[in-house]
Formats: sequence, structure tokens, C-alpha cells
Amino acid sequence: MVTSEGTIYPLLSRLRRDGLVESSWQESSSGPPRRYYRLTDAGRAALEGFKLEWRRFRDAVDHFVERTA
Amino acid sequence: MTMASKADTLVADYLKRLNMELRGLPRARRRELLEEISEHIAEARAGLEADDEAGVRTLLDRLGDPADIAAEARERFGVRERAGVRDVVALVLLLVGGVVLPVIGWVIGVVLLWISEAWSTRDKLIGTLVVPGGLLVPLGLGLVSGESAGCIEISSGGPGPRTARTCDAGGGGIEPLELALVILLVLAPLVTTVYLAARLRRRQVPAAA
Repeated sequence: MVTSEGTIYPLLSRLRRDGLVESSWQESSSGPPRRYYRLTDAGRAALEGFKLEWRRFRDAVDHFVERTA
Repeated sequence: MTMASKADTLVADYLKRLNMELRGLPRARRRELLEEISEHIAEARAGLEADDEAGVRTLLDRLGDPADIAAEARERFGVRERAGVRDVVALVLLLVGGVVLPVIGWVIGVVLLWISEAWSTRDKLIGTLVVPGGLLVPLGLGLVSGESAGCIEISSGGPGPRTARTCDAGGGGIEPLELALVILLVLAPLVTTVYLAARLRRRQVPAAA
């Protein structure tokens, strides 16, 4: 889905601006400190909402495909 | 930093291209993306030899073409309609605001211009300095020169009320130089407006391709 690794950053930036993810720095033993991203509560809620939507959509498509098959 | 290796140069060139491609994005977004992608590169290079050119080339290939990242960024930070209306108001006020509501109208235009995220600092400077007051200046100048066309007023400077007025034959002609100046002062803000509008439109076209 992601065509190149770099395109993840605009997406992360947008999610952070929307308050869905937050980032924090942690020391790394193998190089410079790393930035870690994690879901916020709002992000988790948004994910749950999306999962629900997705299931509904998937079921609708399944229903349609099975009926015509 | 010691001697820049070929690998360092590749990274620097990549970031420079990315910075160019990100033009037109709000400054803060642009800086954020550059930082995070620099971090990504630094992190990945920690596992490579400093002068591992092939490793760095692979790394940059995987990161992807800066144009693709910029296209994704433009899509993610697409211009909102609300901002668009305000930007158009800014353009109109910069041009004729000073005429409709002398000086203040133009000042409001300048404020809207500078708080907008649609233009770069360079664009904003152009919008402010070419020409301050917009069409107010040439209009004012045109009126003044229209009134005293071809006349030179000489004030005696003393306490006396006498001023001498010498006029050209006919008295109606505007000096060609004066005319050129007025035309220039009319054209300059118009050109600026068209330029800023073009920059605005370029930004509002979402990254379709």
C-alpha cells in the first residue's frame, strides 16, 4: 500500500496533528535516539471506529458477492 | 564533520531535493517532514559504514522519490476551503482595499496575507512591497497630477501668501514621465495580484498525479 517508505511521514505528521498518534524519543543502543510513535486514546478510538466501519463494509460486500455467486 | 564522503553528498542532495519539492507546503509542515526524514536516514545509516555508498543508495531508493513524498504531503495537508476564501479576500484588499477604505483596507489585506499559510515569505514580501497601498498610490497620484497637470507650483517660502504658478502652454498635458510612473504604479500591483493568485492556485490544485 505504501509505495515508498518516505511517504509514511506525511501520514504520521497528519495523524499527529489530528491527535491520533503521539511520538516520543528513546535512546537506541545501535545509533542515534529513535522516535517512537504510539496511538493516543483518540487514535485508539478512531481505530475501533474504523474497524467497525470496515466490518460493516466487508459484510455488505460478502453478502452481495455470495448472493450473486 | 570530517571529509564529506560520497554517501554524505548523496544524502545532502536527497534532502535538498526534498526541500525543493516540499515548496508550497506550510513552513512548519515542511520543517517537520525534513526533520523526520533526516532522522530516518541517520537511524538507518547507523547500521552502515559511513562511506557505504551502495548502502546509502539503497536506503534512499527505499525512502522513495522526493516528488512522491511531496505529493503525499500535499494530499495530506490539502488546502481547506476556509483558508481559500480568506486568501482571496487578502488579494482583493491588497489591490483595492486601500482605495475603498483608505490605508486601513490595505493594512487588513497585509495582515491576512501574512497570517495565511498559502504563500512563502518571499511571496508575502512581494505582496507587501509591490506596491504598498495597492492602487491607492497611483490613483492618488493620478488625481493630484490631473488637478495640477503641467503646472509647477512655486511657493515663495516666506510668510507671504504669494505662490507663483507656472503652467505649460495649454496647461492640460501630463508629463510623459509622470504618465509612465502612474502606469507603472497601476501595473505593478496588478502584476503582483496575478502572481500571488497563480501561486495560490498552484497550491490549491491537489496532488492528483
